[in-house]
Amino acid sequence: MQKRVVFRSRLLPYLLVLPQIAITLIFFFWPAYQALESSFFIEDAFGFSRQWVAMQNYVELFEDPSYLRSFKTTLIFGVSVAVMAMSISLGLAVAANRVVKAATGYRTMLIWPYAVAPALAGVIWYFLMNPSLGIVAYWLKNVGVDWNHYLNGDQALLLVIVAAAWKQVSYNFLFFLAGLQSIPKSLIEAAAIDRAGPVRRFWTIVFPLLTPTTFFLLVVNLVYAFFDTFALVHATTEGGPVDATSILVFRVYNTGFIGQDYGSSAAQSVILMGLVIMMTFVQFRFVERKVQY
Amino acid sequence: MATLSINSLGKVYPGGVTAVSDVNVDIADGEFIVLVGPSGCGKSTILRMIAGLEGITSGDLQIDDRRVNDLEPGERDIAMVFQNYALYPHMSVRGNMEYGLKNEGLPKAQIAERIAEAARTLRLEEFLDRKPANLSGGQRQRVAMGRAIVRDPKVFLFDEPLSNLDAKLRTQLRAELKALHKRLGATFVYVTHDQVEAMSLADRIIIMSNGKVEQIGTPMDLYLRPASRFVADFIGSPSMNVLDGTVSSDRRSLQLNGSHQIDFGAELPAAAGNQIAIGIRPEHLHQNTAGETRIELSVGFIEQLGADTVVHGTLAGSQSPLAVRLNGVQARDSGDSIALSCGRDQIHLFDGTTGQRLNWDNQ
Repeated sequence: MQKRVVFRSRLLPYLLVLPQIAITLIFFFWPAYQALESSFFIEDAFGFSRQWVAMQNYVELFEDPSYLRSFKTTLIFGVSVAVMAMSISLGLAVAANRVVKAATGYRTMLIWPYAVAPALAGVIWYFLMNPSLGIVAYWLKNVGVDWNHYLNGDQALLLVIVAAAWKQVSYNFLFFLAGLQSIPKSLIEAAAIDRAGPVRRFWTIVFPLLTPTTFFLLVVNLVYAFFDTFALVHATTEGGPVDATSILVFRVYNTGFIGQDYGSSAAQSVILMGLVIMMTFVQFRFVERKVQY
Repeated sequence: MATLSINSLGKVYPGGVTAVSDVNVDIADGEFIVLVGPSGCGKSTILRMIAGLEGITSGDLQIDDRRVNDLEPGERDIAMVFQNYALYPHMSVRGNMEYGLKNEGLPKAQIAERIAEAARTLRLEEFLDRKPANLSGGQRQRVAMGRAIVRDPKVFLFDEPLSNLDAKLRTQLRAELKALHKRLGATFVYVTHDQVEAMSLADRIIIMSNGKVEQIGTPMDLYLRPASRFVADFIGSPSMNVLDGTVSSDRRSLQLNGSHQIDFGAELPAAAGNQIAIGIRPEHLHQNTAGETRIELSVGFIEQLGADTVVHGTLAGSQSPLAVRLNGVQARDSGDSIALSCGRDQIHLFDGTTGQRLNWDNQ
């Protein structure tokens, strides 16, 4: 079916897309260009002068072992957040899908954490886990775990992972629940008659049919973990102890605003931008084209 | 292959709605049973209770003398064909048919053998590696049947399996289904709202309304001796004419609306002055005065079907609807009047209040 609209005037279509293009150019392309440009300069802390250094900022970054460690930290952080947030939310969605009485009530409550700002989410977990005041830290002590994320880097990373995942569970839950509800009930019944128990039904019928949702959420969760968790880290561990939770996006801020090294900070943003482009490509290539089954 | 026995089966939903009450039937090994009735009569609920997809509130369900009320659907050794086919969309045709067998833990060679045989029977060989999305409605239907056949279950359950198909395909698959039943010799329980499907497929029909069984019998039992006004109305197309009347004082004739008086020549099984109804099938009325019972039809509109013509109208001098099926092509104008008659033995009597069949001497 031909759905294309033909305009009589040549000007009108351009006028109609102008606002969108203007916004994209001014708020996305211009800053991106500025970052790209700055990444080739070394600038003094007060912005009075700058010097062209070509790729030196990039070279220094990749020669800096702590930056490379940040890559690894980010990867561990991103994958853990995605896996934890998705598996918990899938479990909750399966449970909520079975609830008959007061279903909307449960669902509403499960969606609430999404309304909590990332910084607040971080602070809540920070308090809960605080070695001297936190209730969770107290429980952990009772079962023999000595929790101190001020000193222990692994524990600090675990803290930000848990906080970031907790925040994302609601979002994933919504999508998984919608996905589950779109699976026809008769398929599950047919599988039950075909002698598949509940667990087998889940892994052979339900989970494969959720593939499109799962894949979409995987990309969204990774993007969230890589780029949207700055406030959370900033409000809790501030990248510490000793860079243990210094994920890439936090490092951009730290290098630029604390270290006042604008050139290096810009170079880091460009690298992050490259990552986003890659992930967007993956999403368009595989997700938008609908996972075939 | 198995017998199925249903004893005072009932279903009440948590909200207090009674979907099915007091159903009793013994289904013989290899019998083709059709559950028929209007939407919401509880026929699908019974099927789902047999399948184990709905809990049983009261009564007993036995397959081969084993009580299965509390068994999981997978443990009952049944197979079901769903209205929307319920094929697993992410699996190929082969995958769909294999699934149940794999769950049973059958050896691979045996699975392959059974699938090859079912595919041959249902002419699905060339589609085995396709996904359901790439099949036509009729092919999907056959895959759904194939999935049931390979399981070699004790009882086959069908939930309106033909209702999503067009009329021509439906007729074709109806014949295939009948042939399949003959070859497998298995017990079939089949739900439909289509009385033609019920009449053409069933060894015995269970006809239901409002969660209760109206009648159980062979298609001809239901056609020739409907147990109630509901059955009379539901079975046969066009429906049986049912006319209300009052029993005369000598109890040998019935005063219908308008000026018609039907003489029975025998004593009616009802008290003088009682309301009863007579039923006459449109195909049993003839355009002559040879029969003992004569009535007059005032023509409303006609349906010309080629082989015969259905004339709809009212009983002359009243508002009671009346229809007749005449042979061949016939033309009639609205307002015309047709004199009709039928034999006394083709008149059914129903109680005016309960709608139950009344038997009388002439039958």
